[in-house]
Amino acid sequence: MTAREVVDLIKKNVGVPWNEQSYRDTFKLGNPDSTVKGIATTVMVTFDMLKRANQAGLNMVISHEDTFWNDRDETKDLTSNPLYKMKTEYVLTNDMIIWRIHDHMHAMHPDFTVVGSLRSVGIKGGEDAVMRPRVFTIPETTLGEFASQVKRLTGSRAFRCVGDLEAKVSRILLGPGYATPAMTGDADVVIGGEQQEADGAFDDVEYVSDATSLGMPKGLIMLGHVISEQPGMEDLAKWMTTFIKDIPIKYVPAEEPYWT
Amino acid sequence: MLPATVMVKKSDLSRRDFSMVAGAVATTCIPLRAATGPTAQDIVSRIQTSLGAEKSSTSPDGFKAGDPNTPVKSIATTAMATLDVLKRAAAAGSNLIITYEPTFFGRQDGPAPTASAPAGSTARAPGRSPFRLSPDDPVYQAKKQFIEKNGLIVYRLRDAWQSRKGDDMTSALAESLGWAKGRVKPDDVLYDIPAATAEDTVALIRSRLKLRGGLRAVGDRKATVRRVLLYAGFMTPAVMWQRYEEADLTIAGEVREWENTHYAADIYTVGEKRGLVTIGRVVSEDPGMRACATWLKTVVEEVPAHWITVGDLYWRAI
Repeated sequence: MTAREVVDLIKKNVGVPWNEQSYRDTFKLGNPDSTVKGIATTVMVTFDMLKRANQAGLNMVISHEDTFWNDRDETKDLTSNPLYKMKTEYVLTNDMIIWRIHDHMHAMHPDFTVVGSLRSVGIKGGEDAVMRPRVFTIPETTLGEFASQVKRLTGSRAFRCVGDLEAKVSRILLGPGYATPAMTGDADVVIGGEQQEADGAFDDVEYVSDATSLGMPKGLIMLGHVISEQPGMEDLAKWMTTFIKDIPIKYVPAEEPYWT
Repeated sequence: MLPATVMVKKSDLSRRDFSMVAGAVATTCIPLRAATGPTAQDIVSRIQTSLGAEKSSTSPDGFKAGDPNTPVKSIATTAMATLDVLKRAAAAGSNLIITYEPTFFGRQDGPAPTASAPAGSTARAPGRSPFRLSPDDPVYQAKKQFIEKNGLIVYRLRDAWQSRKGDDMTSALAESLGWAKGRVKPDDVLYDIPAATAEDTVALIRSRLKLRGGLRAVGDRKATVRRVLLYAGFMTPAVMWQRYEEADLTIAGEVREWENTHYAADIYTVGEKRGLVTIGRVVSEDPGMRACATWLKTVVEEVPAHWITVGDLYWRAI
């Protein structure tokens, strides 16, 4: 099977009309007509992840995020960049193919990135979750204890929190990746991947800080992009095995990039 | 013979000096009301004239709350007018607050002028935030009431301040880090610092900026750092690609993880020693607004100006 045929099967099974205008969900590198020996799904096609996929004999990488360090995977300013050359050469020399699935994952029912993110922080009942955020209720705990649970379950080293550690919380609103939801009156804690810290569409950091100053029990947990959307890529791999039987499909996680 | 100052060519003046000259000119051009003291509008006009920046239609600068005709007792500058900062300003007797970032939780700086989006509405392109502030939001209402009750005026000064080169946002950050003397070129972002490992440099940053949980680093902990690139605020991929090679450690306010952080991680994977540290957007802009207070004293002499730090708003789970 070629990479193009793999993508055609995904398009057939995705359950939503395919948007050919998406600049994200396209082939990024490699020959789409190359034969696929194995498929690796990942949240971020880092160079480190590429090498691990190649060593495992998986030559097609399906990534949720970009390859060339910008959302549009624009390469015109990178043609003389040594890192760009190395990454490109590595992929081409090893007959690898990179394809991105982002917009359509967030349009799917369920949205695996949300399903996986909810599961990874210990929230039950999110198996049918979609992009549109909804409030999940957990047994009442403190923000500090809940954050400790998130740390234990995700294994993240670097996620950041805002709010009063002693705040009593039970209503959780989660959005994946950069789609960190705005705090609402219906929620105590917002969980997201990342968000511009200030001067954006909605600044949760300032909002939760101010709510905390007013004594309102509100919290913000910013997981980081990789930690937030990574678990859903395992769900994507499993889903793909339901319609692609004769090629190995494995989830190859990217590393959380930070130390603190 | 002409006085020395007149003989100095304009190109010989640093931009800082030029602003001061411009400020002095402004003082004579815009007389302030002696009886009641300058109003917030008077002071803002003076700031605008002194900075000489033309306001673009996309600039977010402007009054965000309070009555611009209020006489000003004292000015407080800050990177972000959080409620905590406003309380400290009011307690210190300051009634004009000059903030670099928004006051009301987003670039819009308040509820959208049109009717607010239907509750729970998330219609959007993937990855785009649909979120808007509701006019009856309790936090928004409480903050607005605090401002009104205490007779505060909040003015956002971002683009005009940023346009003042000599780049105070950068040099003030360097000053807070104790690295001001190491500036490699005037008006640039590179600094030479005492050689230390990335790990030790990060520890130094953390203690000098009094950080809590916001700092995150990418790269080799043990790499030797001799030259740093300081970037206050949000760093785009384009800047990263152009300049990342010039320093051992790039210290930015914030970046997008799936863009710049990804790049730094890949650079590390291919064996390069350089690293990236993000300290938080507001933390990185904090020192620049201290510089703004210092500068204000040269432009507005009638009322005192002081800086209120926002600090690191994040903590990390244990």
